[in-house]
Amino acid sequence: MDTFLQLTVDALTLGSVYALIALGYTLVYGVLKLLNFAHGDVFMVGSFIGFGVLQLLGGTSKPVVPVWLLLVLMVLAAMVGCAVLGVVIERFAYRPLRDAPRIAPLISALGVSFFLANSMQLLFGATPRNYNIFDLANASLYTKGFNVGNVHVALLRIITVVAAFVLMVLLWFLVNRTRTGKAMRATSYDREAAAMMGIDIDKVIVFTFVLGSALAGAGGVLQSLRVPTTVAIGFVVGLKGFTAAVIGGIGSIPGAMAGGLILGFAESFSQGYISTKWSDLIVFSILIAFMIFRPQGLLGRADIRKV
Amino acid sequence: MAILDINGVSLSFGGLKVVDGLDLHVNEGEIVSVIGPNGAGKTTLFNLITGIYRPDEGDITLDDQSIVGLQPHVISQRGVSRTFQTLRLFLNMSVKENVMAAAYGHTRAGVFRSMLRTPGMRREEREIERLAQERLAFFGKRLMGYRWDQPAYSLSYANRRRLEIARATATNPRILLLDEPAAGMNPSETHEITELIGELRTEGGYTILVIEHDMHVVEGISDRVVALDHGVKIAEGSFDAVATNAKVVEAYLGLQTAATK
Amino acid sequence: MSDSTPHGSHVPAEGPAVGQDEWVARHAEQRFMPGGPLGALEDRIRRVPWWAWLILFLAAASTLPVFEHSGYVRYVAFSTVLYMLLALGLNVVVGWGGLLDLGYVAFYGIGAYAYAMLDSDKFGIHLPTIVSVPLVVAIGAIGGFLLGLPSRRLTGDYLAIVTLFFLQLFQTITTNGDAAFGHNLTGGPNGILNVDPFHLGKHDLVVQHEGIFAVSYFYVALAVFAVVFVALRFVNQSRTGRAWRSQREDPLAAEAMGMPVNWLKLLSFSFGAAVAALTGTLFAAQSASVFPLTFYFVLLIIVYTMVILGGSGSQAGVVAGAVIVSPLLELLRDPGKSRVIFFLALVGGLLLMSRRSRALGIVAIVTLAFGFAVHEILGAIDKSWIAGEHQGGFAGVTDHWVVAPAHMARWIAPTSYIGLIAAVLLVTMVRGRLRLALLVPTVYLTAFVWENVMLAKPEPARYIVLGVILIALMILRPNGLLGERRVEIV
Repeated sequence: MDTFLQLTVDALTLGSVYALIALGYTLVYGVLKLLNFAHGDVFMVGSFIGFGVLQLLGGTSKPVVPVWLLLVLMVLAAMVGCAVLGVVIERFAYRPLRDAPRIAPLISALGVSFFLANSMQLLFGATPRNYNIFDLANASLYTKGFNVGNVHVALLRIITVVAAFVLMVLLWFLVNRTRTGKAMRATSYDREAAAMMGIDIDKVIVFTFVLGSALAGAGGVLQSLRVPTTVAIGFVVGLKGFTAAVIGGIGSIPGAMAGGLILGFAESFSQGYISTKWSDLIVFSILIAFMIFRPQGLLGRADIRKV
Repeated sequence: MAILDINGVSLSFGGLKVVDGLDLHVNEGEIVSVIGPNGAGKTTLFNLITGIYRPDEGDITLDDQSIVGLQPHVISQRGVSRTFQTLRLFLNMSVKENVMAAAYGHTRAGVFRSMLRTPGMRREEREIERLAQERLAFFGKRLMGYRWDQPAYSLSYANRRRLEIARATATNPRILLLDEPAAGMNPSETHEITELIGELRTEGGYTILVIEHDMHVVEGISDRVVALDHGVKIAEGSFDAVATNAKVVEAYLGLQTAATK
Repeated sequence: MSDSTPHGSHVPAEGPAVGQDEWVARHAEQRFMPGGPLGALEDRIRRVPWWAWLILFLAAASTLPVFEHSGYVRYVAFSTVLYMLLALGLNVVVGWGGLLDLGYVAFYGIGAYAYAMLDSDKFGIHLPTIVSVPLVVAIGAIGGFLLGLPSRRLTGDYLAIVTLFFLQLFQTITTNGDAAFGHNLTGGPNGILNVDPFHLGKHDLVVQHEGIFAVSYFYVALAVFAVVFVALRFVNQSRTGRAWRSQREDPLAAEAMGMPVNWLKLLSFSFGAAVAALTGTLFAAQSASVFPLTFYFVLLIIVYTMVILGGSGSQAGVVAGAVIVSPLLELLRDPGKSRVIFFLALVGGLLLMSRRSRALGIVAIVTLAFGFAVHEILGAIDKSWIAGEHQGGFAGVTDHWVVAPAHMARWIAPTSYIGLIAAVLLVTMVRGRLRLALLVPTVYLTAFVWENVMLAKPEPARYIVLGVILIALMILRPNGLLGERRVEIV
């Protein structure tokens, strides 16, 4: 029972971060029908921005600001930085290819991903960066929290999950309750029709990249609070987020959240009950099962083929 | 004798009935035109016959054998071929290759024989090439000569329509479905295509089902005309009978509908 | 019709009022018939049959070891041939099948691992090469088929995720395969060592001759390449090849014209995988060992760059891509040669562009002067700014031109690199004189970054070059060097 609880807590932490990444994929796919391979690397850059801010503000041992402000600043800086990065990527690598054959932006995206990962390695090296959150305020982020039975739920995990969900609620609000959000949904439904209705497609796409990349940046910092980051994590993280988005139904926002959580649970439970080594295999099996039995994903809608 | 039999076929997308309990019979060697306003379900009918959509209800038989649920390429190999209203050529392939590709269904050389260029495979290749030349020659000089090796995208609009027909005939079909063959053509080209459809029957021996908006074409070619509206057959018979049918006039012009409501 | 010659027929006007159709036809004919001596030459070159080019290429390649005795260069030539094979295989899937297969290099790995398992002390099996290689190819083909199976009805995007995940899975399995159900199957991160060389009967095709690369493997690889090239060419010119390209152009129309699209997709997948697996056996036999990380994302991007650079869909193109990229990556390892390549590319690029506009010539001269000026001024302010050492080719030239700080402060690298990216992006955004003016500091900054930041770390630097090539190609010339111009109407 304790193992089960512990794994559930792990799954929620992991899953909420996956959900943040999956949202970026889903949003961009929605408006551009493009799988943005570089998204995982935007996440990686976010984790490095967080690290940079942490160092600027004195590091974990001697922070110059209160702990809560430190965390907020790290997340905010990563969000802003990644939003800018996302917009630049869209403007220069994807926009010129908007009317090209569908395979072209996909390959351009591969190039961007490769470029980002190697540029970061060029500038900052391949050594892992550890936030060392344990040193922060006498490990209070680890020791504080609450207990469920014998399982201790650390404050750090609560912060991660709550922050992720707050961001997701914010996103939901932006997409469903604002004018730009409505324009975004219209664009994802039918780009040409939306353009004819007077929606500025470029603006919508930029907005989408801002949202998606900012979420990835936040995800990068939240993830790296617990796990050291390296310049190479983009590939695997992107792959998982991408899978989560597909499982949930690509293009669907609640789907991405559900997909992220499913992936989090699948990974943490297979690691806990089966083997730490083979969780990839389990996740891959789930992906294949979805491809065969429900290719439109959990909450996606099946398209009617137009001829 | 009916070569193609459509019995009580229905299809809906979401809540919308696109085709509703449709019956249609096409006899061997006949030219049947399908007319109706936009959204009447004409192209959907073609998609149902060729297996792109699967009907919710009803049955479609070819030579008394049901073809419902078969994959499109199997239906094509059984002898149903079509053109597309929106022109779906293999744009980056040469004109000749477009036609040669369509011979896939009735040729047999496998990949290993192709790799080794066996005599049998080479013979078949020559036959495919001859078939392509023959099908392209059907259109006089319009698709001949230097055009063979040019990519399909370099063709003019009317020639693309012609190439689609040539490609469709290269599958060696018995029944040919032509989706608006005269759309976008000028009067002289339209006249030419009208004559050509007649020749397709006399020389090619195809049974032909045509969707067409141009009433001159419909008048010129049809043995029989079927009018659809909102997925329902509203009239059937000779051109004169259908063209003067009150329901058909109503469907096109909507006059009486407006008056009765 | 009697008139069946593809060239030279004239289209007569048919009756009156022929309209735009005929007009288009006449003009098209004029346009497609090149004139003048240059046109005649071009026509002549176009008429050289593909097999003549192939023989020419093979002949040229096989004389390489006669002139080049360095084991290193010969080895690079060998691995270039492996890349050529990989590019040919990927071309089947991407170029002809139109499928985005991101798990491609996993099949290369499967081939290498399968050969290593069938021919090494690992399990004590030592199959003769003529048995093991066909077996491995079959394993690759079946593997490709199975991977394609669940994704067969799906569009490119879904295929991309399944195959990409498959690549990751290959890593997981090979890396953790040393403890699978209590057995050591793959050797884990340490891989499989002491793999047999190719052997026939009791004769080994030795890997090394007196400690250096044995050139026999180069010839074996070249022979395999020739066979694969011709076999794939023949398939492409058959009904299967036409059907592949048809379904790439329009799957629905292909299906309606009697082509079993799903089967064809699986077939092209399977073909690509088989070629990759075959190449894997060559790799494993020559290097005598296999490790998981050889077959990962980096290799995938390298092979993709080759295919895209050369022109996906064109066999000659993808081979050219491999012949360019593979040696380029080797040269970029060495800072001295890397600098030579950089300046040659820079000068070449400026020259090429200046054919279109004379102003670029002026830009080049101004940049040169700008460089000397910056160098002198900074040197006058603080000697340490220009005290850095230049090494290798062109060092004498660049000594007085590119600023090289003796000590790289931590902020210099990120600032100049990010500044360079910003400058390049800005140049692409502005037009006219402003662009020319901006080009001067941008070119200089590029030289600075290359000299001081990139040369210090050749490993990421050369991959950055690949990434830039990929993005720039997709935007500027998506058909690559030799690919056909493609149109797509959506």
